[in-house]
Amino acid sequence: MHPVEISDLYFKYQDGNENILNGINLKIESGKVTSILGLSGCGKSTLCYCICGIVPHIYHGEIKGDVLLYGKPVSGMLPGKIATITGIVFQDPDTQLFSPTVEDEIAFGPENLCIDRDEIARRIDICLKLVNMEKHRFDHPENLSGGEKQLIAIASVLSMDPSIIIFDESLSQIDREGKSRIKNVIFQLKNNGKAVIMVEHDPENLELADEIYFLKNGKIEKIEDLKGGGFAGFYRV
Amino acid sequence: MEKSPKKFYNPKADVRAKLAIVMGFSTIGVFVQHLYVLAFILLLSVIAAFIFKAELYKALRSTKNLWYIFLIIVVLQSIFIHSGRIFLQIGSFPVLTMGGILKGGEFLLRVAIIVFSATIVSTSNSREVVQGLIQMKIPYDIAFMVSVAIRFLPLLRNEIKDTFTAIQLRGIEIKKIPLKKRIRLYLYVFNPVVAGAIRKAHQLSVAMEMRAFRAYKGRTSLLHLKFCASDYFIMISMLLFTAAVFVIYYYLGFPKSII
Amino acid sequence: MQDFIEFKKVTFSYTQDRMILDCADLSVGRSNFTAVMGPNGCGKTTLGKLLVGILKPDSGEIILDGRDVSGMNLAQIGSIAGYLFQNPEVQIFANTVIDELSFVMKIKGIEESIIDKKVSEVLELLNLSAHKNSGTFSLSYGEKQRLALAGILINDPQFLILDEPTTGLDIERKTILVDILKNLIKAGKGMMIMSHDEKFINNFSGTILKISNGKITKEIL
Repeated sequence: MHPVEISDLYFKYQDGNENILNGINLKIESGKVTSILGLSGCGKSTLCYCICGIVPHIYHGEIKGDVLLYGKPVSGMLPGKIATITGIVFQDPDTQLFSPTVEDEIAFGPENLCIDRDEIARRIDICLKLVNMEKHRFDHPENLSGGEKQLIAIASVLSMDPSIIIFDESLSQIDREGKSRIKNVIFQLKNNGKAVIMVEHDPENLELADEIYFLKNGKIEKIEDLKGGGFAGFYRV
Repeated sequence: MEKSPKKFYNPKADVRAKLAIVMGFSTIGVFVQHLYVLAFILLLSVIAAFIFKAELYKALRSTKNLWYIFLIIVVLQSIFIHSGRIFLQIGSFPVLTMGGILKGGEFLLRVAIIVFSATIVSTSNSREVVQGLIQMKIPYDIAFMVSVAIRFLPLLRNEIKDTFTAIQLRGIEIKKIPLKKRIRLYLYVFNPVVAGAIRKAHQLSVAMEMRAFRAYKGRTSLLHLKFCASDYFIMISMLLFTAAVFVIYYYLGFPKSII
Repeated sequence: MQDFIEFKKVTFSYTQDRMILDCADLSVGRSNFTAVMGPNGCGKTTLGKLLVGILKPDSGEIILDGRDVSGMNLAQIGSIAGYLFQNPEVQIFANTVIDELSFVMKIKGIEESIIDKKVSEVLELLNLSAHKNSGTFSLSYGEKQRLALAGILINDPQFLILDEPTTGLDIERKTILVDILKNLIKAGKGMMIMSHDEKFINNFSGTILKISNGKITKEIL
């Protein structure tokens, strides 16, 4: 069973004029990094929102087709359940972190899930180790660099132990050093059997990708040959 | 800053004990109307703030912009309350009187007491304050929203600053603009700031919901506050002290002023 | 050619333990292209903010077009050097594109016909003519950035400072931005771009500045 199975997905935002997703068929696999590329506004983020439940639970619109997480439809799942299956890391580190210390930030998710304190403490240890930020456990997230903030955002999502993790252009505001640290973490997640989805518009961030798709005009196409120039052809407007 | 790894409770003074101090001093400050008593309470709250290593200087500086308003209120109070020796008179109308100035002084002292004792609470971080409020049975949602607001206030302030800077760099010398046009100008500044704040708030709420915020009726907490002996001591002493002040005050017949 | 921008022994730090600039010197010509590169937190944004007077140096002098920055107010500086914030939404004030570009001139009492002419010119320059009658809220992120740039250019500054202009732009928008900036350089404008995007910077030729140990070093781009 695939972690994510999308069949014939059509979606139009409530205040939109036309469909932003026009018949998407996609299967995401565990232990792999799936990259979804496309120009700004093409709907890549919307596709991710459909996978993690932001659509339809927070953003509303006309949706047709199925989005299944491990065989069960997202639309029928409660937000508490979705959080234990999918996590999403956004582009702007500043609007994902709101606690006075790193430890509190990572504890936030599990606390909402009513997990007991010993387990929460254990998860914080594991997540900090994974993102290599143990030294910063009691720091105020405000004082961290952009890359480090994203690492904490990742840890805060991982502490709920999701098996699908979405990165929605999470690297775009980060400098070279930060990017390499984050890519390291993504590599580890993939090796730990997670299903990783990376939404990107910068082809430079594709070195980790096992499968690459291109979203254009609401339809998705798999890119088989990265080097053969077919890639540039997708981007030619 | 090296901090020993905290277990599940904070070994420093419990935030609820600090709240008890603030409540005690502020209550006395509000009800008592005697200048000397107020001055004494102010002294006590400053000493308490020092003991808790509160950042008094920072608090003073951040209220700097409000000093003008305080001054105006003091002057207004003294204009409308006249008793005792008259210092300034316009026609037959006493404007500045001894009684008025003293009343204004009382107001200043009251505000100072509240501000300084509040700095004691600021020595706990926002997570502790929220937890303290929760353990005092205040709903999590409210306590949490307050802490988020505190977190984002400096960001908002920086954005306002940037927007003001940006509009001046476009060639507008704010000081040279007449008042009527200046109000329109402030509306222009208002626009991006409000839009930015709404956008940030929205992104934040989505991020929080994705981490199961309010997914269930209750929630657990990594942090759990426990009172220790010194906390009980602080709270009981504060209660006794406040009660004593009011009893003595009542016994002396609520003296209103020193004249 | 007299140097347009000069830093003379400038020292600046945010906190006592970390000096961003320590007696640093710099000189940039009026039509030069300069890229300021380095990891986040090294002082790129700080340099730009010192240049336009948003931040004041702890010591030293900053000279802009022959005048000391500390002796000018922001409005005067803005007519010499325009500054594009990393987040363009901070500098979009009006509800419509036309109002955005004309409100400053209206406040200054400039004639309607001159305003119209300048607005059209600047929209043309920045590929925004199609949006002349649009509301600012309906613009995409890239279009908002170009609008913010338009608002700066309408003041006709000689020099432009852009802080991380590629943030949030996809390849297509970056290409559009490169073309626009190249046109401005051709028109004789000087430019300083703070960026960590090497590929973007490689589209231009000029100097690279790197800030380390409180000093500014130059390399050829």
